[in-house]
Amino acid sequence: MKKYPADTVIGYFGFPRRKVLREARERYGAELPLVDLDVDMGAPDSGILPATTCRIVANVVDNAMSLGNALAAVIAAVGEDKCDRGRHAAFLLRTLGFPVVESRFPEEEFENRPLVFSRARLPLREKIDRIMATVVDPSTPDPAPAACEPTHGFWGVPPHDFRILDLFPETTHVYGWTRCVEAGRPSDVELECRVDAGIPTVFFTQSFCAKQDLAHFLAERNQGLAVDCHREINDSILAKVEAFVRLSR
Amino acid sequence: MKIADCGSTYSKILDLDSGVLEIVATKELVRRKSERYEVATGHCARGRCAVYRNELIALAEGGLALVAEGDFSLVDVGGRDIKFVRLKGRKVDKLDWNLSCGSTTGATLELLGNYYDIDFSTLSPSDRWVNVTCGVFGMERVLEQISLGTSPEESVAMFLHGFVRNVIDFIGRPAHFHLSGGFCENPCFVRTAERYCRVTPLGRTVLLEGLKKGLE
Repeated sequence: MKKYPADTVIGYFGFPRRKVLREARERYGAELPLVDLDVDMGAPDSGILPATTCRIVANVVDNAMSLGNALAAVIAAVGEDKCDRGRHAAFLLRTLGFPVVESRFPEEEFENRPLVFSRARLPLREKIDRIMATVVDPSTPDPAPAACEPTHGFWGVPPHDFRILDLFPETTHVYGWTRCVEAGRPSDVELECRVDAGIPTVFFTQSFCAKQDLAHFLAERNQGLAVDCHREINDSILAKVEAFVRLSR
Repeated sequence: MKIADCGSTYSKILDLDSGVLEIVATKELVRRKSERYEVATGHCARGRCAVYRNELIALAEGGLALVAEGDFSLVDVGGRDIKFVRLKGRKVDKLDWNLSCGSTTGATLELLGNYYDIDFSTLSPSDRWVNVTCGVFGMERVLEQISLGTSPEESVAMFLHGFVRNVIDFIGRPAHFHLSGGFCENPCFVRTAERYCRVTPLGRTVLLEGLKKGLE
């Protein structure tokens, strides 16, 4: 196996198939740390994508460009479980010389994992962090955090700027794509659109993400609040969510 | 004791002791560096007050103070954004806040009015409208109309009509709504909105009423 410098990592984005993740690690280095390229790591703007790109996909490209030679490979979710822009990002990165391993999560590999974190009484930020960590390590936590009845809901993908999550109480349940990740069913649209009736829910998307279609529709149907945000959260968005959380109790 | 609603383009300041209401352009307020309030809301109020109140909460509480009905829709149309609350049984049933993209249309309308010397108190509503996706796109449509020979008055009224349609779509096309903010004093806006539904203007101090309620 090829020897890598000490700071080498394997990047991934979305929810790659577990088999693809495992095989890529065997191929590129099982000892190399896995890094989620979706997450804001403070990478400079690579200028490769237009300004109207969803911030998560822009993070993927900017992070990869910033890591450069420290990236042994990119394991890219490019199927219905991610989005066209994720597929395009994989294409761009391959064209720019990165080793890219594509993954399309098929329905036959859907899991039915228990929703331990989505329904737990925990700070929302921690809940979402721990759900996303199950992409790499799906082992069940022991002890599992205590479940709670929902007072509020957060629907969507993990945001670029996590400060929005701090406005929600610990009794907020997680819905949408993030719940699908915990269940091990990243392209299950039915599960993605399932929310608990009567629970005041914020339907969050990054601006310029196709999931805005679902968020808008579901917010109208469920008396929820659709919120989209490009790049960092601003005071107005925080105030809007704060008012919703407080007034809908 | 002074309370204030410091919006993006206009600030409303109420002296609770004397009852005097002062409405100033926010461009003037930002030069009054030392001015402070006991309680305030609005984009430009942070750092100017002992207690800052959320704008949507102030709007909802102001509506409850001014409207006796159990079920009602209330929209505040400002320079930068549109804030909306719908109450059922005097409880908040839905709220929303149209931010960055798609907003700043109120301020753009004022800029257009100033540029073309439009008197909104006498401007006739237009049957036609232009798409006002946001302030910038809407302004481009106005300039295009004028280049095609439409009068500035008609073009700006078309912008206003497109803006009104956005507001009404944003609040779910109710049969009746209460209006808050400076557009209560714009007859062309109110008459254009009345093409679609019943409108009750509540004036520019709804958020101040909400702040007062919070002091009780």
